[in-house]
Amino acid sequence: MVQKRTPSLTTHIILLILAALTLYPMIFMVFNAFKSGVQTAASPFSFPLHPLLQNFSLAFQATASAYWRSGFVVSVSVAAMLAFALLSAYAFARLEFPEREVLFYVIFGLLLVPGFLTLIPLFLEIKALNLLNSLWGLILPYIAGGQAFCVFILRTFVRSIPGDLFDAARIDGAGELQSFLKIVVPLSVPIVVTLALLNIVGLWSDYILPSLILSSNHATVAMAIANFQPPPLAPSVNAFNLQLAAFTMASIPIAVLFLFLMRYFVAGITNGAIKM
Amino acid sequence: MLADRLAVKPSTEDTVSRADLHRRAVWRTRLIAYAFLAPTFIFILSFSYYPAVRALIGAFTSWDGFNPPTWIGFSNFTQAFQDPVFLQSIGHVALWTVVGIPLALVPPFIVAELVFQLRSMRAQYLYRTLFIISMVLPTVVGILIWQYIYEPTGVLNAVLKLIGLGFIHHAWLANPAYALWAVILMGFPWVAPFNLLIYYAGLQAIPGELFDAAAVDGTTRWGRVLKVDLPLVMSQVKLLLVLSIVGVSQNLLTPLLMTGGGPGTSTTTPVFYMYQTAINYDQYGYGMAIAFMVFVVVMVLALLNMRYFQSES
Repeated sequence: MVQKRTPSLTTHIILLILAALTLYPMIFMVFNAFKSGVQTAASPFSFPLHPLLQNFSLAFQATASAYWRSGFVVSVSVAAMLAFALLSAYAFARLEFPEREVLFYVIFGLLLVPGFLTLIPLFLEIKALNLLNSLWGLILPYIAGGQAFCVFILRTFVRSIPGDLFDAARIDGAGELQSFLKIVVPLSVPIVVTLALLNIVGLWSDYILPSLILSSNHATVAMAIANFQPPPLAPSVNAFNLQLAAFTMASIPIAVLFLFLMRYFVAGITNGAIKM
Repeated sequence: MLADRLAVKPSTEDTVSRADLHRRAVWRTRLIAYAFLAPTFIFILSFSYYPAVRALIGAFTSWDGFNPPTWIGFSNFTQAFQDPVFLQSIGHVALWTVVGIPLALVPPFIVAELVFQLRSMRAQYLYRTLFIISMVLPTVVGILIWQYIYEPTGVLNAVLKLIGLGFIHHAWLANPAYALWAVILMGFPWVAPFNLLIYYAGLQAIPGELFDAAAVDGTTRWGRVLKVDLPLVMSQVKLLLVLSIVGVSQNLLTPLLMTGGGPGTSTTTPVFYMYQTAINYDQYGYGMAIAFMVFVVVMVLALLNMRYFQSES
């Protein structure tokens, strides 16, 4: 009865206004990425009626090498992070050994160690290892940084796999490694995809650690777009529009991932949160 | 005698070998487990625990990053409490926390409620998608666009002019009187996608009978929100509260990109000051001492929150 009286139209209007305001920075970015500096100055709010596609090719010229570096860093880090975390999750969920609880808390405790605390010693450590300006100087800490959360989530998942499957495998003579490869790996694809997505998004936009470890000619995408330098031949009046084009392009890989994997992502956030 | 020995001897041998077998099995599993855990532990010990321990020890040293650190006890801490910039930065983060937490908690809840109350599932899905699309923007981009919005020739001043409030025209980030407020209020209308999803999931988990019961009792729409929905999403509120406290207090990226802690020191937070003392002034020990203090305060606040809310529910 109450449902019938709900003023649905008002709700829609409020939601649409809020959505427009929430999306506004993004709309502003995309619209003005297609304009010239003169057009932006004249009408910053309008739709780009004469899109300047050249902005994108110029912006890409200035940032192209950063895409290779970020792609390499993110894919190697996330792949290794999840492979190692899944191995550990298997040990914690399926193997009985005396130090199991203690070692689990050693990993879990890292969730309480905030990034800012380790930032400076980590920078000094990378420097001492002679890894400044090397992509490995990012990859190694990234792999470590993802372990606590991934092991925590994956352990819960591996535990939920029915024990019968493992018993059957043991009867067939499978060792722990075979059980891991033939049962755990295939079954955990959805949760691994979710975790991969969360970590890809996070690492793709990470700025602080890369900006300490890499110089500007070894920049990652986040660094290259934040400290954007337009290519020498670009008209300087358009520098801001080129930067917005660079912003837009840097969002595309994540947008594509979301397009295909949105379901995993939403499920990951909501399920994870409720279980916590 | 003989029968005794015959009877006993094999049985002791049997228990010995069984214990032996058992021990061997335990060691076997242990070794396998260690092999599975090895990569994780090699990485977290070298790149998480080692820097963490170094940070905690470094807080009690004086260190320029080149010469070996020297132990100076609590000097960094006493220095910090006489350092006007540090003391001021505490005030900044306190204001940011007090203002920022309601902004992180309330608007996403209102939007989650509005979306959840729509009858059509398609409409719910559509709005939910609209509100979370901005997650594709790298954090850096979100901050830098807001930096532009605040510029003297930026969007905010243009909007103010448009609605006839042109006289409140400011260089928002360049004016020490407004810069901190501008940084804190960034992100209007503050519908954080992650928080929205958490609330929405919490609302979906409420059993439908409770809404029916509220409807039978003739409870109004927002009456139901206060009496039914809000109490039942308290675990989400608790989670988001802890995450927001931790998030605000360790937000280094926003001051770093948007204002560089300035103008002057007007948007310097403790975590930004830590970065500045270490990276720009080479006072690594002092920076680590500041990080140490922020860490302790955040931990205490987070634990108090969890305690308080656990005893409530």
